[in-house]
Amino acid sequence: MKIAPLILCLALLAGLFLPQPSLATLGEGADSVTKDRHALSAAKRASTSHAKYTVQEIASDATTVREYLDLSGVVFAVAWNGMVHPDLTTILGSYAGEFKDAKRKMPRQHGLKRSKVQSSRVIVETWGHMGNLQGRAYLPALLPEGVSADEIN
Amino acid sequence: MKSINLLIRIILLLPLVILPAGCGGGGGGGAPGPSLVSLSVTPVNTSITAGGTQQLTATGTFSDGTTRDVSSQSTWTSSPAGVVRISNTGLVSSLGPTGSVSITAAIGTVTSPPVTLTVTAGSTAGANVMAVTVNGSLCSDATSANYFNKPCVSVTICNPGSSTCVTVNDILLDTGSYGLRVFNQALTGLNLTQAPSGTGSLAECIQFADGSSIWGPVKLASVQLGNEPAVQMPIQVIDASFATTPTSCGQPDATPAAAGYTGVLGVGPLAQDCGPNCANTRVGLYFSCTGAVCTGATVGLADQVPNPVARLPVDKNGVQVRLPSVALTGAPTLVGSLLLGIGTQTNNTPAVAPTVLPANQQGEFRATLSGATSSVNSFLDTGSNALFFPSSLPPCTGANFNFYCPPSTTSLTATMVGATGSPSLPVQFTIGNANGLFASNNNVFSDVGGPSTFGFDWGLPFFMGRNVFIGINGTVSPNLGTGPFVAF
Repeated sequence: MKIAPLILCLALLAGLFLPQPSLATLGEGADSVTKDRHALSAAKRASTSHAKYTVQEIASDATTVREYLDLSGVVFAVAWNGMVHPDLTTILGSYAGEFKDAKRKMPRQHGLKRSKVQSSRVIVETWGHMGNLQGRAYLPALLPEGVSADEIN
Repeated sequence: MKSINLLIRIILLLPLVILPAGCGGGGGGGAPGPSLVSLSVTPVNTSITAGGTQQLTATGTFSDGTTRDVSSQSTWTSSPAGVVRISNTGLVSSLGPTGSVSITAAIGTVTSPPVTLTVTAGSTAGANVMAVTVNGSLCSDATSANYFNKPCVSVTICNPGSSTCVTVNDILLDTGSYGLRVFNQALTGLNLTQAPSGTGSLAECIQFADGSSIWGPVKLASVQLGNEPAVQMPIQVIDASFATTPTSCGQPDATPAAAGYTGVLGVGPLAQDCGPNCANTRVGLYFSCTGAVCTGATVGLADQVPNPVARLPVDKNGVQVRLPSVALTGAPTLVGSLLLGIGTQTNNTPAVAPTVLPANQQGEFRATLSGATSSVNSFLDTGSNALFFPSSLPPCTGANFNFYCPPSTTSLTATMVGATGSPSLPVQFTIGNANGLFASNNNVFSDVGGPSTFGFDWGLPFFMGRNVFIGINGTVSPNLGTGPFVAF
């Protein structure tokens, strides 16, 4: 009875001090949502089911992230809003490299409070202003049939 | 009196001559120290308004090649008489009359070349008026290439409690943010103290909606808006080389040219740049730095970078943006004004009561484009250079893909709704073909729009031909109510 809480404490402490692994979300299974939660030091808040997908919402102090899972449990989209953008390297996982390449090639335009970066497999859009930054990243090829990108927000 | 002054000056000057000799140690026995070779005065060409002041600096060059500030040891002379008075330290004060004066500094037989200072008529518009130029004289060419609808203001920043000031142009007027942020490069000559944070010093990362960011220390400065009294407050000094940038801040803009401005004046409807969130939790805006290491920090409301208007003694409840209307074909430049305060002076009291839209704690209200089934988040933003909204209008092909290119100029209506659910206010606007508009030589356009996935961003075109009031949260504006609100 006394050992169990001790192990729990040790496990929590270990979790706190372990270097955070490079996590992936888009295109991965549902377990990456749990990993994301750790990486974002966020708490799961709600899960809502639709005909073709499930949305899991996780909230940190700064930002609320919604992860879209198809019926087989693969994350095909992530949307967010909050004080700061979430770490896109975490969100994009194995797609982070092609996103960065595509972003680098885009000419900088001043005066915009939005951006849309499109690589061969992933689309990342951001919008907003100080205090409410919004965005979404999704894999068009993995959108469940009959689901429009408009539903990701 | 004059001879006593001269005597005092000689006594004050003595250490200048004697000390370097003592320190150098290499001179032959009894050889004199470096002597003053020449004097120069800066700034060379400057102007002040009647009643205003300007600090001049006299720099001495010595025979050993060294230079130093000798403003306090110089005898200052201006001609003609009766236009300005110059203190012993080089502070020029207008005596009232307008005109140009020639000013020299002298020590002994060494006299500086003359500099010109012009006293212009004081603004009759009032101390609470700031000029706004859209792609005009207050914008820098170096940061404005391919940047249309760019509203610029000028802000004077001083060392706290000192008359050492710099006036910085090319400050982007931004109702979509809160706080004054200025590139380090524009603050040369100032010596500002970094704000403390726990056992370290405070720094900040601002992430923007286009994925860019700025980074740098939070410092205490004396800020003067228009001819309002200068007020001490925290500002962000933009400096990508400061300490080690936190990973979450990405790759912050290092130069004004990269950012597209020399600074940002955030005068939206909130009083601080973060609010209660940052007071309680580490959200990723504020950092405490010790040496080069910066870690997330909480910052109380009073120590956050404030909307500078909220710190004014009287005109602190909001602003009014006034821009003239612009023809559908555009204009090369536009001159308007930013009035500080709402209903606190004769000049900022609306003659006809505007419609007030309450905003939420993000400074947002709601908007529905005619024909759309649901409303979206919405905000008024002079820092966005077009109207960005979800629509079936075709985006331009090619480089202008961020803007709409309807085949012909199109009139649209959207309904703005207060964050509290009322009032509802239809607003008409016009979207032209951006490819066609940008092909002209104009820089200012009232009918440029672009796509948005998330909400309705009423950028600078919305402000053209309107008087737009922005009320700061927690403050009351006579007849308009308590902020946050927008009204027009």
